[in-house]
Amino acid sequence: MMIPVTFWSYFAELAGCAETVVTVSDGATIEVLLKHLYTSYPALAEMRRSTLIAVGVEYQDGEYVLKAGDRVSLFPPVQGG
Amino acid sequence: MKRFLSITHDPIDEAGLLAARSMSAGMGAAVYFSGVVRAQEGSELIVAIDYSCFVPMAEHQFHRLFDQLEQRGSVESLRLIHRIGRVAVGEASLWIEVVSAHRGEAFSACQWVIDEMKRVVPIWKKPVLVTEKPVA
Repeated sequence: MMIPVTFWSYFAELAGCAETVVTVSDGATIEVLLKHLYTSYPALAEMRRSTLIAVGVEYQDGEYVLKAGDRVSLFPPVQGG
Repeated sequence: MKRFLSITHDPIDEAGLLAARSMSAGMGAAVYFSGVVRAQEGSELIVAIDYSCFVPMAEHQFHRLFDQLEQRGSVESLRLIHRIGRVAVGEASLWIEVVSAHRGEAFSACQWVIDEMKRVVPIWKKPVLVTEKPVA
């Protein structure tokens, strides 16, 4: 299953790209996806404690089970205003 | 509850927004807040802030906040405009107005929406630093 991932704000600079695609097994959780990402983009691993995760337009946590068609976003704490 | 949300690159037309205000006869409070870009961010002098935004999620999260506010039943209308892109020092990046029957509800709702926005709405800012010191 291929999951598109978007990095927002300075996470894109840390990753060196704004988007990527990660292949995971059926039934994989976001936690599994993150392990793949942190191997490919170690600079993001350093931000894991402050990383916010969304699937589509909803916040999710590491236990969320990914489905075909999901789009994941990773980003730092928000700063509107 | 009437609601208006705009996430825009355009400057905020505060005079136009005020002129377009609508309140029913039972409403006695209109509170608005204008968030303006300061010339200093932390210890750095800046000329502007670049705002970036995950727009579909930001709109969704704003409307979730508005839904929660609507459940209180005390707010007649809420209007919120957030700029994205480059916003120069002295310009407004955020404008919010709450209309309700009494001032306590209006102040409280305005403060609550801003606090929650800063917690859940995916907007980020990147200061644009002053690169040349002014001549003394």
